[in-house]
Amino acid sequence: MATTVLNIHPSHRPLQIWIASLLVVFLIGLISMSQVLLNGLQVTDLSDQVPWGLWITLDLSAIALGAGAFTLSAAVYIFRIKRLEVLARPAVFVGFLGYTSAMLALAMDIGRPDRFWHPLVYWNVHSVLWEITWCVVLYSSVLVMEVMAVVGDSRLGERWPRLRSIGHFMHRLTPVLAVAGMGLSLLHQSSLGATYSVLSGRAIWFKPSLPVMFIVSAVAGGMSLTLLATQIVSLLRRQQIVPPAVCAQVTRTVGFITLGYLYIKMWDWAATSYYTNAPATADILTRLHATTPYTSTFWGVEVLLGGLAPAIVLLTPNLCKRRGLTMLALALVVIGVIINRWNITLSGLIAPPDWSPGVLGNIVAVSYFPSLIEIGVALGIVAYALLGFTLGVRYLAIYPSKDNCVD
Amino acid sequence: MSKSQIQDQQPEKKSRKKHPLLSRKDALKIGGLTLAATAATQMVISGPLSADAVQGIGRATHNGHTASEDAAPPHQWRMVIDLSRCIGCEYCVRACQAVNDVPDDEMRWNIVFPERTTIGVDFYMNRPCQHCQEAPCTRVCPVGATWVRADGVVVMDYDRCIGCRYCQVACPYDVRRFNWRPVTEANPYAPQWGSSEVPRRPRGVVEKCTFCVHRIDRGLEQGLTPGVDKAATPACVAICPVGARIFGDALDPQSPVSQYLAQHETFRLREEWGTQPKVHYVRPTNGRS
Repeated sequence: MATTVLNIHPSHRPLQIWIASLLVVFLIGLISMSQVLLNGLQVTDLSDQVPWGLWITLDLSAIALGAGAFTLSAAVYIFRIKRLEVLARPAVFVGFLGYTSAMLALAMDIGRPDRFWHPLVYWNVHSVLWEITWCVVLYSSVLVMEVMAVVGDSRLGERWPRLRSIGHFMHRLTPVLAVAGMGLSLLHQSSLGATYSVLSGRAIWFKPSLPVMFIVSAVAGGMSLTLLATQIVSLLRRQQIVPPAVCAQVTRTVGFITLGYLYIKMWDWAATSYYTNAPATADILTRLHATTPYTSTFWGVEVLLGGLAPAIVLLTPNLCKRRGLTMLALALVVIGVIINRWNITLSGLIAPPDWSPGVLGNIVAVSYFPSLIEIGVALGIVAYALLGFTLGVRYLAIYPSKDNCVD
Repeated sequence: MSKSQIQDQQPEKKSRKKHPLLSRKDALKIGGLTLAATAATQMVISGPLSADAVQGIGRATHNGHTASEDAAPPHQWRMVIDLSRCIGCEYCVRACQAVNDVPDDEMRWNIVFPERTTIGVDFYMNRPCQHCQEAPCTRVCPVGATWVRADGVVVMDYDRCIGCRYCQVACPYDVRRFNWRPVTEANPYAPQWGSSEVPRRPRGVVEKCTFCVHRIDRGLEQGLTPGVDKAATPACVAICPVGARIFGDALDPQSPVSQYLAQHETFRLREEWGTQPKVHYVRPTNGRS
């Protein structure tokens, strides 16, 4: 039914199956969301000790992976790197989907979704979360305006000329939007790390490196996801969207940023746990090591698979020429960012601070594993993003078409 | 913002034919100006020039609680918990649950549990909210739904809370409780241990120990002395059969809490975190059998 509405030719069988399965997952998400709204957050596995979990990870990852939008917009519209123009629209669109996904996850995660507007009216300028809320709301508006420019160029714009003229106006605003977007993103992408790093009572988070690591990894992950998505579209359409030279330039940039991220990460680890033995940090790390897999996922996924391996692939000229390997490397950077956001959130909560000094240490790690409904909501939101991307690529002028018109 | 809008319009007239509305230079200029304006505003709102910095951060975070409370605080409420006296009867836990209407045992604001020190002394640990003067929880609230009152009590506005639970993440003492579900059951501790004196909180907001602030405020209006008159004293302190909890005004040298603090060696939980709690503890001794 859906496919007839969407006017997809019957010969596009795989696309039909893909969209249908995404719709099923999205439906599961909608059912899970209604459960959350009806019954409250008791349907989650969250607790007073682990009040943030899967959805916060999704939220942080979606925003981080949407960072390609501000990076590539800045590169194209502010620094006028013309070659990258082909990636600007997909980056903005991926960013738009990322930020709307994040807001969807947040709306589920707050106990009173009916009060989502409170941070805009009741200000607490001392709160990083207040600053983040403002930046995310403003930046999402920027993304909506940038996407309007794309929508105006599509068949929708042909049908409604008004939409087209709005789109053209937004297109002329692009440099301003790029500057605003860069400013807002530089603020909140790092503030998301500050969310954790300002908490003086949580030793494992309380360090100034988190905001820096958050923004650097977001830029690497965001660019990776945009390029990866573009390469997948390129494969499926059997059409070269990004010229190999441009692709190589972006992958090299991602490689260097990943290397820089690893460098900061190495010193963060060395300074906080290798060369020092700060009692609170050491205690938490010992507990984490003893009872959770976070030590191994830190080294195995964050550092090796999500950092070192893709950096080597992306920076070695011979390996970089192989498209499959490059795409795998980009995917690994994206996975590394997601696992990093999970590890940071959960490692700080799972091993709570030992607030009662001088007693025999019997504080153990608190357990958390997302409930089925939490997973359902998360899958639904991911399905929303994939569905949005699929339909966007098909019906909006995100990529230059083979024969210069949308097929 | 208005400055940048004016700048927006000027180049538009001049370069109507040019495709981009603004040149890259203009865009960067506007960006720079906006950043400078933001920084300047930030200096005035919350930086070294702000009213907060002059009068003490955290006082003016909530509407309606600023004008009168920014004057010299008339009181400074503190609690002492003498761990060498506590017998672990949990009367304080139950009185708290009855008076503050917390039927769910998992949501206790005030907990008591057996502990053993590193040198082998068995005792009962007590933990209400520590009412930190530099409370991590109040700083992080994105809507200012929780704040440190001028008299030192950390309170909440349940009508403003959006339930993001950042305060729970920020609190290192695990004192905050979230309403994961609508709590509708009858309170098993009422009326035996007291009766509800505050409205129950709705699903989806965070709640916490308030030092029974409703008793303090009403008691002061009636001319009572919190810490001395039971009706004006937190429920946990008033019910303690062994006098292990002492409450009062630290600014009044005659108050029970000032006297106790003067006569005993006390400590506060994790002072190295810089939270400046207002709950003081007396070390446990081998007195418990």
